[in-house]
Amino acid sequence: MAERQTPKAQDKLAFLLALVPYLMDHDRVSVAEAAAHFDVPPEQIREAVRLIAVSGVPGETASYQHGDLFDIAWDDFEEHDQIVLTNMVAIDDSPRFSAREAAALIAGLQYLSSLPEHADRAAISTLMAKLTRGSSASPSPVAVQPSETDATLAIIRESVERGVQLEFDYQNARGDRERRRVDPLRVESVDADWYLRGWCHLREAVRTFRLDRIASPTITDEPITRGAGDVTLPDALFEGAPDDLIVTLEVAPGALPLLADYMTPDATQEQAGDRVRTTVRVSHVHGLKRLVASMPGVAVVIAPDDARAAVAEWGRAGAARYGG
Amino acid sequence: MPSATPAPRIPVEERLFSLVLALLATDAGLTKAEILSTVQGYRQRYNHSGDNANLERQFERDKDDIRELGVPLETIETPGQAGNNQSLRYRIPKGSYDLPSDVRFTPEETALLGLASVVWREGSISAESRRALVKLRSLGVTGGEPVLVYLPRVRVRDAAFEPLTAAIDKRQIVRFRYLKPGEAAPVERVVQPLALFSHEGRWHLYALEPDTGWNKTFLLRRIVSDIALTGKTFDPPPGDQAAIGLAELEEVWAQRTAIVEVEPGSDAEARLTKRRGASRQADGSIQLHTADYHILADELAGFGPEVLVRSPEHLRNAVRSRLERIVADHG
Repeated sequence: MAERQTPKAQDKLAFLLALVPYLMDHDRVSVAEAAAHFDVPPEQIREAVRLIAVSGVPGETASYQHGDLFDIAWDDFEEHDQIVLTNMVAIDDSPRFSAREAAALIAGLQYLSSLPEHADRAAISTLMAKLTRGSSASPSPVAVQPSETDATLAIIRESVERGVQLEFDYQNARGDRERRRVDPLRVESVDADWYLRGWCHLREAVRTFRLDRIASPTITDEPITRGAGDVTLPDALFEGAPDDLIVTLEVAPGALPLLADYMTPDATQEQAGDRVRTTVRVSHVHGLKRLVASMPGVAVVIAPDDARAAVAEWGRAGAARYGG
Repeated sequence: MPSATPAPRIPVEERLFSLVLALLATDAGLTKAEILSTVQGYRQRYNHSGDNANLERQFERDKDDIRELGVPLETIETPGQAGNNQSLRYRIPKGSYDLPSDVRFTPEETALLGLASVVWREGSISAESRRALVKLRSLGVTGGEPVLVYLPRVRVRDAAFEPLTAAIDKRQIVRFRYLKPGEAAPVERVVQPLALFSHEGRWHLYALEPDTGWNKTFLLRRIVSDIALTGKTFDPPPGDQAAIGLAELEEVWAQRTAIVEVEPGSDAEARLTKRRGASRQADGSIQLHTADYHILADELAGFGPEVLVRSPEHLRNAVRSRLERIVADHG
């Protein structure tokens, strides 16, 4: 039986091919430094170095003689956790990007090209051209429209630069408007939508704000009390809260990805005719009614009753605007 | 010579790494027999007197894996023996393997590329951007700490994305069923897939329909079947097809407009006035742009009573009937 190929082995190969030229450029580097640079656990570096140190080419004799192999200063490695390459074979330089790797970076750059950091458009196109030249084949045809960001982002950035709190009017899904004071921690996006995550002094907790619901942002003179390094932000944009509403929906299977951000991690999906029955978690019915009303014909609230009624009422009020 | 006792199992990555090293080190190339009998990871399993079919299949898969990483693994024919498979030679030419010496990145560029790579969180494009980042780090440059921490994401959740990416790579004509809004049943499409692009946060396929000779744009979420490969290949037209497709849809977006009224102080007012391309009219109404009126109708229905569509008439009707559907479904 032939071995099954795992993508893991492919990733490990890419790592080996990248690590060798890095080590060649560093006469001596500690395992810790290399691990920090590649953002991997130190043991992954040690494993890779052990493998590199016994690898090489078959050579003239086709039997992997000593001079045909990489070698390292073993004492430095085993006793001091230091890497010193003492013999090198076959590899001279970093590998090129694959067509798809280059395409992933180029499309990512396109998406981000409206960030204040990317103000220099000429520099971005130079960078894209370099990636294209550094690719072993024409980058795959993938493109992302630049995401639109407004002046709010530049103001957030400035308040972080100065280390001061940001103040703005914020209107939540319920329609309530409040003046908020926030220590900005991180700016996040999902496709065309942008969010600020920050420490909210009004709620005394981490909150997520949609950038397009922020109005009249002003930079204050008040120093921040919490910086990005002080708060651990979970990766998920929408955190669950104990008083969240759990809602049962029936959804057309094709529309499930649209609800993925709202699904609970343990949400079950069971077939109900040509629909799928599942549960989502929302902070209140005001968010839910907007979400469900934007998916007419593909998502229906089943329970609880008051959520169902809130959606019906939202639709009724909307339809009434067009006359009975 | 391999020993008679069973050799220790060689990890896959060691075999792949040894294959790359061996093929980089040869100018003339190595034949398959030379590779299987001498390269670490193969030689331990090579049968000098018998059948190596399993090992040969392994070698075929390894070649694919290596090429997928962007390593230019070449096949060359021995002069005078064209067509003889056993005399094919394999090598990786240094010149096309090495990153060109003028492709080096400044710390600022490295920081930008680092950010560009975290955009992808799902599917193979996420794995590819991670690998690109590893190769970038190979150059030893660090990006430095950003002033403001960003966590950007582009979702790739459409089931059709992966198979279409593969079909585009292989230049294969594909077949799928596509459900246009307002049509009762999906229609089968046979197209040459040219590019994938994201517009307004939605993934689209740009393709050429051989039957009509027209270029068409398909919204991935409206593809309601698997993507079937037809086995027929095509030659893609020259030019950056992703950019062409995106520009065509952007043109459509610029031409299609709607006029809506929003309740003062509402969420609809806050968000719609900040929408890309939105403009306030003299009478307080808002002009919006859209690439697709059906999608705009869904979005506007979500705002319930906060929005009233003035024009065009068909959009007005579409939003109204959506809201009535919501009421009927939740009655």
